[in-house]
Amino acid sequence: MITCHAFRANLRPGSSEPELLEHLRHCDACLDHAVGVDPDFLFRSIGGEELVPPGGVDAFTHDVMQQLHVRTTETRLAHRVLSWPRRLAVAATIAAAMTGAAVVWQHDENAKAPMQPMASATTTKRATPAAVVASLTTKPVVETYDSKNATIVEVPSEGANDVKVVMIFDEQLPADL
Amino acid sequence: MIPTNQTIEPDDRQLVETIRGGDPGAFELLVRRKTSKVYSLCYRIIGNAEDAKDISQLVFIKLWENLEKYDAQYAFDTWLYRMVTNVAIDFMRNKQSRDNAVNSNLRLVKTSFDAEQGVVIQRKEIESVFNAVSTCLSPKQKTIFVMNQMDDMPSSEIAKVLGCRESTVRNHLFNARKLMQQQLRKQFPEYSRLWKEQQ
Repeated sequence: MITCHAFRANLRPGSSEPELLEHLRHCDACLDHAVGVDPDFLFRSIGGEELVPPGGVDAFTHDVMQQLHVRTTETRLAHRVLSWPRRLAVAATIAAAMTGAAVVWQHDENAKAPMQPMASATTTKRATPAAVVASLTTKPVVETYDSKNATIVEVPSEGANDVKVVMIFDEQLPADL
Repeated sequence: MIPTNQTIEPDDRQLVETIRGGDPGAFELLVRRKTSKVYSLCYRIIGNAEDAKDISQLVFIKLWENLEKYDAQYAFDTWLYRMVTNVAIDFMRNKQSRDNAVNSNLRLVKTSFDAEQGVVIQRKEIESVFNAVSTCLSPKQKTIFVMNQMDDMPSSEIAKVLGCRESTVRNHLFNARKLMQQQLRKQFPEYSRLWKEQQ
């Protein structure tokens, strides 16, 4: 370290020569003088020396290496153990989604089948006798019917697959049937 | 012939290559070698020993995780300092927003001191004065000020570390000085008198 005399002789505002800064940071006697030359030396006097973390370098290094070891182990375990459950979870989700979609589709198909005659009946309600029959299906079902005055007319069907329509004319038949 | 146990220590770049080759012992050596540098910078930026220690440890963990990205054509210390400043600035930003939320109305203003009274500068006090007045600086301004004034890094080197222009560094330095003088006037009038005497 240079002498106080040399320091005071060479110090100028803004000086940054290493030997001057070293003296500034270690000599209490010259601190006032330096700040008088340039007030910016006030905070400049703090720096310089290298500090040691609390507990020392050995303890610090040990902590860092320990943390690294834990992190490395965690990462390794995450790759080995967690990747399979994750893959399984994804596969299970896909399978569940496909099963759900199939069930819904099946349900829709089942629901569509009895609805079809209704749909056609509503569109041709007034035009065809089938529409009358279709509208009757919404009314209460008569399980037994006995009458001597009724006239039964069977509507001729066009094909073997056509619905068989039977018309009953009876003055005693309840109006809301 | 005198037998010697001295071995030539590998430089930083060689050490990094050894670590990349899978030698954790080399990393331990690198941590030992750089602990003081990293901790000193963290401590001066953050101003608290325990926080500085935690941040320094985080820096070394990030260093380990990103070692593959280091390009050996650049100085290792520049790359290391960049990591330190990034982590420390992030920490300071989070801390500032936490402190602002908690102490938004709290200001420590020391006005009872007679500004005309002379000041006997005590080395022990300077650090706490710096910690008090540097709270007015942004994390980046403080980092640049610390690197330049306390670690004696030239602005060209700081620009490399922070990945910005040298003129930006000089601007930050100028503004940091100005802001701290204003803060000194408010909080420590006895010190601000030093600048008045110069003018």
